Amino acid sequence: MHMADALVSATVAGIMYGATATVTGYSIKKVRKENDPRKIPVMGVMGAFVFAAQMINFTVPGTGSSGHLCGGILLSAILGPFAGFLTMIGVLAIQALIFADGGILALGCNIWNIAFYGCFIGALLIWKPIMKRKATKGKIIIASILGSIITLQIGAFSVGIETFASGISALPFLTFISVMQPIHLAIGIIEGLITSAVLCFIYEARPELLYGIREDLNKNKRRFSFRKVIIIFSSLTILIAGGLSLFSSEYPDGLEWSIKKITNSTEIEVSGDIYEGFEKIQETTSVLPDYNFKDSDLVIGTSLSGIIGGLVVAAVCIGGCYIFKFFRKEVINE
Amino acid sequence: MNKLNKAIYEIQSIEDLSSRDSFINNIHPLIKFILTIIYISLVVSIDKYNIGGVIGMSIYPIFLLIICDIPFKDTFKKLKIVLPFILLIGIFNPFFDNKILFTINDIKISTGVISMITLVIKGILTILVSYLLIATTTIDKICYSMDKMHLPKIFITEVLFIYRYITVLIKEASKIIEAYSLRAPNQKGINYKAWGSLLGQLLLRSIDKAENIYESMSLRGYSGNFYYSYNIKYNKKDYIYFIIWLFLFITMRFLPILQIVGNIFI
Amino acid sequence: MSHIHIDVQNLSFAYEKEEPILKNISFTAKENDSIGIIGANGVGKSTLLKLLVGLNLNFQGSIRVENIPVEKNTLSIIRERIGFVFQDSDNQLFMSNVYEDIAFAPRNYGLSEEEVKIRVENALKLVHINNLKDKKIHKLSGGEKKLASIATIFSMTPDIILMDEPSIALDPKNRRNLINILNEFQHLKIIASHDLDMILDTCNRTILMAKGEIIKDGDTREILTDKVLLEANNLELPLSMQKII
Repeated sequence: MHMADALVSATVAGIMYGATATVTGYSIKKVRKENDPRKIPVMGVMGAFVFAAQMINFTVPGTGSSGHLCGGILLSAILGPFAGFLTMIGVLAIQALIFADGGILALGCNIWNIAFYGCFIGALLIWKPIMKRKATKGKIIIASILGSIITLQIGAFSVGIETFASGISALPFLTFISVMQPIHLAIGIIEGLITSAVLCFIYEARPELLYGIREDLNKNKRRFSFRKVIIIFSSLTILIAGGLSLFSSEYPDGLEWSIKKITNSTEIEVSGDIYEGFEKIQETTSVLPDYNFKDSDLVIGTSLSGIIGGLVVAAVCIGGCYIFKFFRKEVINE
Repeated sequence: MNKLNKAIYEIQSIEDLSSRDSFINNIHPLIKFILTIIYISLVVSIDKYNIGGVIGMSIYPIFLLIICDIPFKDTFKKLKIVLPFILLIGIFNPFFDNKILFTINDIKISTGVISMITLVIKGILTILVSYLLIATTTIDKICYSMDKMHLPKIFITEVLFIYRYITVLIKEASKIIEAYSLRAPNQKGINYKAWGSLLGQLLLRSIDKAENIYESMSLRGYSGNFYYSYNIKYNKKDYIYFIIWLFLFITMRFLPILQIVGNIFI
Repeated sequence: MSHIHIDVQNLSFAYEKEEPILKNISFTAKENDSIGIIGANGVGKSTLLKLLVGLNLNFQGSIRVENIPVEKNTLSIIRERIGFVFQDSDNQLFMSNVYEDIAFAPRNYGLSEEEVKIRVENALKLVHINNLKDKKIHKLSGGEKKLASIATIFSMTPDIILMDEPSIALDPKNRRNLINILNEFQHLKIIASHDLDMILDTCNRTILMAKGEIIKDGDTREILTDKVLLEANNLELPLSMQKII
């Protein structure tokens, strides 16, 4: 889900940074208003917790595959959406810098796709309303799973839009999306299950830690079977994952088949419309290279001389650096 | 779990690299940060058919890799996280963008192939320079640069905190998982019955830890503000470094130098 | 005549709706006292220390530090005078390197950078860890972390030091370092510990607690050689005494 720098154009990156900066500014204001100095160490340690949690392999029953936690909804269920958002930003920044998971330029996009949707849509628009009147285990499970699925779907869709708007891939938008969405549906279900398992545990052990839950003296008598939910969703996951793997196992035949189908069908016209729409936006907002893959005017650099020139320069650079290092060592040794 | 231990190893090796006393490490961190961002922006904006252009821009990471004595193996390992996804996207370009550019020994090279190669090289270059930034600049100095760029203090403090406690929590998680694996030897990952309690325990311990840390801070006068002592002065060499590289970036990116050099050989 | 630095009268404490942890505790501590607080697990040693610095204000009775009552609005003044060394050093050391952590307290007190530097260097000297000044916290060994956390307290130049199980997880050499450092600290110190041998080496006075109450408060040697008393309270003679008696 983390986008690399090479997948975004400077314009898209800039726009997403702008959006992220606005939300960040607002979140900081909200957190400062709470005036709880306790929040900072808690945010820091929770961020580190998300890191550790992301590295744990959760075996999905029945599929033999493993799932991982993203953490946006989990964080917000403990810290609230604003502090949760700020924490996720820290996590994503460190992931980008230290672990090379996501680019620096693309950080704005990643924050938006993962943290913004996870914390605000997941926590504010889904978790909070569900938890409003009385908290129950069943509600926690539903809120977590629903929240995870929806936020990951929207996130995956955004990745598609950002990639497409950056014009780096010739893949039609719809094809891209038709692969991204189902994969992230499976990921979302697993994330939702893991999140709900943890939050149910917390609810039983220390319910006062959960955000948006009112103190409830009456324990809810209705017993919601966690096991049943796992079985239902695991089956769904198996179906989806199995379906996908069938699809990809026929690769390249399956993929080629679908590509041929798409290039021959009317769907191309639809994506063509989307193309032109974005082109128009791009043209009015920036001075960027041409998008039109269909009849590409070859820029000078594509020419053979450009390529050779590039290789020569790189070779000279390599040679020069080694020579420099060699002489420096000589000087030091004297 | 191997992943956890690998992560600790990664963090420590980057720290060892970034805290060395070398020429590049001693360049002012803000200069390196800004150069990195400018570089990435320029590379990303190169036209998708301009292979020569991207190859030319490789001089910066080449310079850093060689001059800074950064081990190649570790560096290129960093690519394996994000590069596959880039490849996956780029691999479709030849299918959809198939105007034939030229042929080499009967193999038809289409524009799609060119754009795919350019994309992959862009991916490699941008990931490399990000890694090389952090491999030559400690996290404290990076946070100092962010402070100089007027990023909010609360965010910077938080990054430092997260960084401080990542290894602590990874070790905690390791312990919990080790205990689990010793009692569930045939499991590769965590069985679903233990999802809630295992991660939940880690979460509760983390929160308790945070509470204790807060107590410790408030006993030492903490009232919401953080102060840092870093005040890194600029040297002449910082400015020279910046100007030279800026000049080279702009030259490589916008002037037809590469064509001229290439034409000498054709 | 030494000042009375800490005065505890009829102190009782319980967490909400739970069994009382401390019952009617009273004692005073003077400027040059070295007090060891001993007792089996769960008797309330750590809780007592935490109440002295006001980490929980829901207690009954009175606690006065340098004649100031421990209340919400006096906490910042009191906490400048008392240094508390936590059991887990990872909770005490939260900055990225040793220097920054030791500088944390003096900076919060508004001292200038030059003064902060002097405080840090003195603290490092007192604990003999000058070589660790720029080291990253998570690279420190357990013993180094403990010494560093003591240094973070010394930079506050406190009148009183409280320590909760300071010798846990220290190897013999570091433990000896710790004992030497404690003996060099001339002001009031109160140390809660299971390490009776360390108490014997560093404290002239011992308070024995059991079930939330003070069983005996007196000379360290007297208490720590009283086999019957110790065993009645789920303790044993210090190891160094076990061969002699």
